[in-house]
Amino acid sequence: MATYTREKPLTRADIAGESAWWCAGCGDFGVHSATQQVIMSLVNDLGVPLENIFAFSGIGCSSKEPEMLRVNAYQGQHGRSIPVAIGLAVANPGLTVIDFGGDGDSYAIGMEHLMHAVIRNVNMTLVVMNNQVYGLTKGQASPTAHKGLRTASTPKGKKGRNVNPLRLAIAAGAAFVGRGVSWQRNELVELMQRAITTKGFSLVDVFSPCVTYHREPGFRGSGPIYDWYKQNYVLDIKDAWQQLRDQVFTEEERATLPTEYDPSSPEAALNGLHLIFEAAKLGREVTGCLLIDESQPTQAENASVSAERAPALADISLPANLDAYRGLLAEMR
Amino acid sequence: MAGLQIYGAGRAGDGTNTNILMLGQALKDMGAWIFSILDEVYSNIQTRDSGFAVRAADRPVFNLDDEFDILQAFDVGAFVDIAQEGRIPPITRLKQGGVVIYDSTPRLEYPNAGHEIKLEKVQDILDGKRARVFGLPMGQLAKDQLGLYNARGTISIGVIAHLVGIPDEVIVKRFAKRYAGDAVAINEKALKIGRDYARAQGWEMPELKLSFTPLADDTRQVILGNEAVAAGAIVAGCRVYAGYPITPASEVLEYMAEHLHQFGGAMIQADSEMAAAHHVIGAAVAGARSMTATSGPGFSLMQEAISAGGITETPMVIVVCTRGGPGTGLPTRQGQEELNETIFGGHGDFARIVLAASEPEDAFYIVEHVFNLAERYQCPTFLLIDRTLAQSSYTIPALDPSGFVIDRGKLLTAKQVADRYVNNGDEYKRYELTEDGISYRVIPGTPGVTNYYSNTNEHTEAGYITEEETIRQAMMDKRFVQRMELIGADPELPQLRQHGSPDAKVGFIGYGGVYGPILEAMERLDARGEKAKFLELRTLWPFPGDQVRGFVDSCDTVYVPEYSAGAQLRGLIQREATGPMAKLKSLLRYDGRNMTPGWIIDRIKEAK
Repeated sequence: MATYTREKPLTRADIAGESAWWCAGCGDFGVHSATQQVIMSLVNDLGVPLENIFAFSGIGCSSKEPEMLRVNAYQGQHGRSIPVAIGLAVANPGLTVIDFGGDGDSYAIGMEHLMHAVIRNVNMTLVVMNNQVYGLTKGQASPTAHKGLRTASTPKGKKGRNVNPLRLAIAAGAAFVGRGVSWQRNELVELMQRAITTKGFSLVDVFSPCVTYHREPGFRGSGPIYDWYKQNYVLDIKDAWQQLRDQVFTEEERATLPTEYDPSSPEAALNGLHLIFEAAKLGREVTGCLLIDESQPTQAENASVSAERAPALADISLPANLDAYRGLLAEMR
Repeated sequence: MAGLQIYGAGRAGDGTNTNILMLGQALKDMGAWIFSILDEVYSNIQTRDSGFAVRAADRPVFNLDDEFDILQAFDVGAFVDIAQEGRIPPITRLKQGGVVIYDSTPRLEYPNAGHEIKLEKVQDILDGKRARVFGLPMGQLAKDQLGLYNARGTISIGVIAHLVGIPDEVIVKRFAKRYAGDAVAINEKALKIGRDYARAQGWEMPELKLSFTPLADDTRQVILGNEAVAAGAIVAGCRVYAGYPITPASEVLEYMAEHLHQFGGAMIQADSEMAAAHHVIGAAVAGARSMTATSGPGFSLMQEAISAGGITETPMVIVVCTRGGPGTGLPTRQGQEELNETIFGGHGDFARIVLAASEPEDAFYIVEHVFNLAERYQCPTFLLIDRTLAQSSYTIPALDPSGFVIDRGKLLTAKQVADRYVNNGDEYKRYELTEDGISYRVIPGTPGVTNYYSNTNEHTEAGYITEEETIRQAMMDKRFVQRMELIGADPELPQLRQHGSPDAKVGFIGYGGVYGPILEAMERLDARGEKAKFLELRTLWPFPGDQVRGFVDSCDTVYVPEYSAGAQLRGLIQREATGPMAKLKSLLRYDGRNMTPGWIIDRIKEAK
């Protein structure tokens, strides 16, 4: 068994699984690379035993992520990684749970579970590779597809609004809400690591462009879709905050506002929602860390279970429990 | 059999259930064995007719008898079909010459308001029954003397206590156990009002006097079927329960909510049955013995997870409390319509085990095997109990947890992991093709295993996705074909039980809520010289085809009573054991009500 030390740290090769399944240029490569780096950092810098890391995924291009790793994992059915992760997180709160989802997986078929995982404050991190389309089934619109997007299932352009996962997660009371982009790896690593080390439910939505099925007029091909995101779609939180300061708050309010957005401030939830709405007015989506709030108990804490008192590790042998069992049965007479 | 059967007919919310439960507890303390059932409960919280019954006998009983001795009528619904939708009022099931105790209060209060009993309007019905009718203004007395209208149920208990001979102290002891504060004294007074009234009127029913003998040290249980299952699960080592409220399974969830944490476990009230079944998978993957319980539509929602449990080889335990379907169907009524879905549900071919309990003791003890088999064969494992067992209360001998054996199958300890993999350099593979056909599980977090890869896609031995024909075939053979053979040969599979005369030529086959009615029907047949025997099924999958075929071969006629219009059990017997066979005859009840011994005897004549 390998133990990883400063002298012999965990390397990328130690946690490399299958070779990649994705199209050349897929944003998911960036997420994968960041994920490996985060795991190395958790093990090497924070001392998390590798065997305590447990990855989940569902169905979609995103769900290939655990396959490309070599860690304990459960690869499940469409939309169902979250409820399986909840069961595992309650049964053994000592595990570090990272779930990899896609925008169809997490925001369509798995939405019921996502909302309740946030509300229950399950101690887990959901990383969503958000690309606005269903890649694995060849290019239908996903719940995050923006208005007007032409896809196989929206030939005349998508009508109606898209799911805004950050807005939902903040409103439902997530402990951590942030968004990264697959092409800025260092920032993504930092974001994921903060998410994983935050107690409670963490959502990291990542714009991870689909180079094959996400087509924008004038941005054909694998390179240009990244340009579309950069030029037309994302709004960095620093710029968003500046814009908000300048345009929404009064001069008086501005005087008391920090110059940099603070995701840990007591007002972060409201300010974060504000940023999302202001960006939406520009037809854009905010990126960055919007909220960190560890004030709420986790589901495990509410259930009075912990790493030390894990149901999965309970002594269920008869001799250890027999007297208590007799007492239990004697209550029913 | 010496016995007494009492019915309480009122409206939802008026305390009739409590009235029957108190009578049941008191009768048990008098030495009787009781069976108590929510006989007529509508699936709503509005104030519809409701009926509760208790049967007390000198030996364990599992069902109501055809008729009752005493009918407590708390409103006119006891005698007439108020809504005129085809309801058959309880009075029809009163025996000839039976007792009717009714509330003669001229204006009843909520929830019975508007349903006052005007004797002249039901006199014909009562005359037809030659009923002994005892009327007293219970509601009025309760309100005037106790300031609590709902205490009228206890006044009725006072009348019954006088008629059948239950001393005050027996009932008061139960009041003290159930109520707190003023309620104990109020009920004590109510009891006295009823008894004094009956005495003053000279009401006597010597033929109803109890003949039970109280036990000096009564360790017998009074247990709800669902509680028997839940307690059995805790003793079997279940430490994570996930569920969604649904009738008739909710008491399992509630019991777990109350008790699981005392044993270091956790109850998760899920956002749906779909979520609950997946929580069970997650907890089982984590290494906890985990379980859910559900019914009807909730069970349908679980089919996706069950299929996932099949391919991931996860020991998930699912209790199916069956009810009347399809759709929402009859949530609060008896049915066995989930049998086919339990055995054939979930897409794809995978190993599964389906056990069934027919009586409350087995509902407790069988859970030991449910969990052992689930972990030994790493597959979805089901326990079927039907609504009547799930939600009825029974007196049973003291349950003894000391015999439970916990066998976790091929789940490796940390030391075994160290020996097998860490120290000799072998690589752990979750779906290793082993000689005995079963792969090793580990508890994630065990040092030395960092590649525990569980997968709902077809997978390699290491758990990674594959679609290649060779490994696909090997995995299906291991996970399904070979596994079912192994399971079929396991001596821990609960064996069927045969009751009655071994050489009889008339047979019954069944499970669940047919159990008590068949046993009693056989006694009655025996009394008139007609021998019969009964094969009680406890393992339904893998189906014990050879034994069932042998039983059928030994009979001239085999009746298959079940609560399904589609004759699901008979279909299973024919598919797995006998083929179509004229001597198999169905006795089907699918009106949501329970079979009684007489119901069976009446129908075997014309059974097809």
